[in-house]
Amino acid sequence: MAENIESNPFVDVSVFLFFEDISDKQGVEGFTNYMVGQAESLAKSVPEEEYQTWDDFANAVINGESVLSSFEHIGQISKYGFVTKVCPFSKAIREYIKRIGNFNPVHMEATDHYNHTIQPSAAHSACMMHQTYRKEVAKRIKIGGKPLQYAQIAAKAYTGKIALPPESWKKVLLEKAGISETQGFMEMRENSCLYLLYVEE
Amino acid sequence: MMDIAIYSLVDDMVSKAGTEGVVEYWLRVGESYAERMGKEAYVGWPAFNVAMKDGRTSLTVEGDVNVQTDLAITDKDGDVIGYVYALKVCPMAPTMGRYISRIGPIPDSDTDVADSYNNRVRDSAVSNYCITHQKFREVAANNITVAKQALECLHLANKGMTGEVKMVQENLARINVDERHIKSILRNASCVFALIVKGKSAGEEIID
Repeated sequence: MAENIESNPFVDVSVFLFFEDISDKQGVEGFTNYMVGQAESLAKSVPEEEYQTWDDFANAVINGESVLSSFEHIGQISKYGFVTKVCPFSKAIREYIKRIGNFNPVHMEATDHYNHTIQPSAAHSACMMHQTYRKEVAKRIKIGGKPLQYAQIAAKAYTGKIALPPESWKKVLLEKAGISETQGFMEMRENSCLYLLYVEE
Repeated sequence: MMDIAIYSLVDDMVSKAGTEGVVEYWLRVGESYAERMGKEAYVGWPAFNVAMKDGRTSLTVEGDVNVQTDLAITDKDGDVIGYVYALKVCPMAPTMGRYISRIGPIPDSDTDVADSYNNRVRDSAVSNYCITHQKFREVAANNITVAKQALECLHLANKGMTGEVKMVQENLARINVDERHIKSILRNASCVFALIVKGKSAGEEIID
C-alpha cells in the first residue's frame, strides 16, 4: 500500500479557499482552468513508469507502488475495471464542512462548468483535479511499450450524487470494463470512483 | 491529494500572477479561513489554555500545541497578559514529505513566493505556506476573547524543513522574551507564537 496518503486537513481546507479566492477574481472559468491546469502540471512532475505486462502494472497499482496510486488506495474489479474505495478528497471535504460550514456554491458551479465544457464526469470540484491528474499521469505510464489509457465511468460526491457519462458512452465504457450496468451500480455502493485503465490491444 | 496541489498551483500562479500576486492570494485565504471559523470566548487564561491543549480552539485545528505555561507574559504590574505556544509539527510537513517521496524536489516557486513575502511584508516565512498560516493565526486570534479581552497573535519564530530558522525580533522585544528561550523551544517544535491581550506589551523585566 502507499506508505502514507494522509495530509493535515488544515492545509486541505486552505487549498479549497485558495480556489474560492481565484473564483472571486476570475470567475468560475478561472476556478476550473486553475484546477485543471495545476493537476496537469502536477502529473507532468511525476516520474515516468514502464511495465512489461498488464499484470505487473495492475499489481503495482493495487499495491500502491504506481504513481497512479500515490494519493489513493485502488482496487481492481476486472481486467480493466478499477475502483477507489475512499475518495482521497473526502477527509478534506468533511473537515471543510466541520470547520466552516456549507460548501461555497462556486464549487458546484465550477463542477457544472467542467461537466459542460470538458467532460460530464465530475461529482465535485475536486473530481476535476483528480480525473485530470489520472488522465495526464496515464500518459506517463507504458505497459509493454504501449501508453496507458484512462476513462472515468462514475464518481460519487459526498452528497451521494453520482456523476455518470451519457448513455451512449456509458455502454461502451462498461463493456470495455467487462461489467454490467447493475454490477457498476453495485460497485458504486461500496466505492467512490469507478474507472477504466487499459491499453489499446 | 488536495494539499499536494499547492505546489503545482503555486507554480502555475507564479507564472500568471507573479510571486507578489500569490502572496496576496495567500494573505486573503488566511484571513477568510479565520473569519469563517467564527468567534470564541473564554472566561480566563486557564480555560483558554486547557482549550488550546485539548485542540478545541480555532488556533489548534492545525495540530497539537504545547502551552508554555512557564513562559507567562506579564505587564509592568505583574499581571498575566498572555502566554507562549509551540506548534509541534508544521501542517505542511506531511505534504512536503509525500511530495518529495512521490514526485520529486519541492519546486523553486515555493522559496520564490516565501522570499517575496519576506522582502515585502515580514521576514518570517520559511515556505510559501507560512504566509497563509501566519495570517490565519493573526486574524483568528482577533476573534477570540479571554476574560472579555480580545487577543493578538505575535508570531515569534519558525523552522523550515532544512533547519532554517526565522525569528521576528520586534515581536520578541514586545513580550520581552530572550531569543535563546525560543530557540530551545524550537528544538522540539516547528513554530512558536505568543497570544497576548490586544494592544498590551510586557514590562521591562526579562523573563528568565
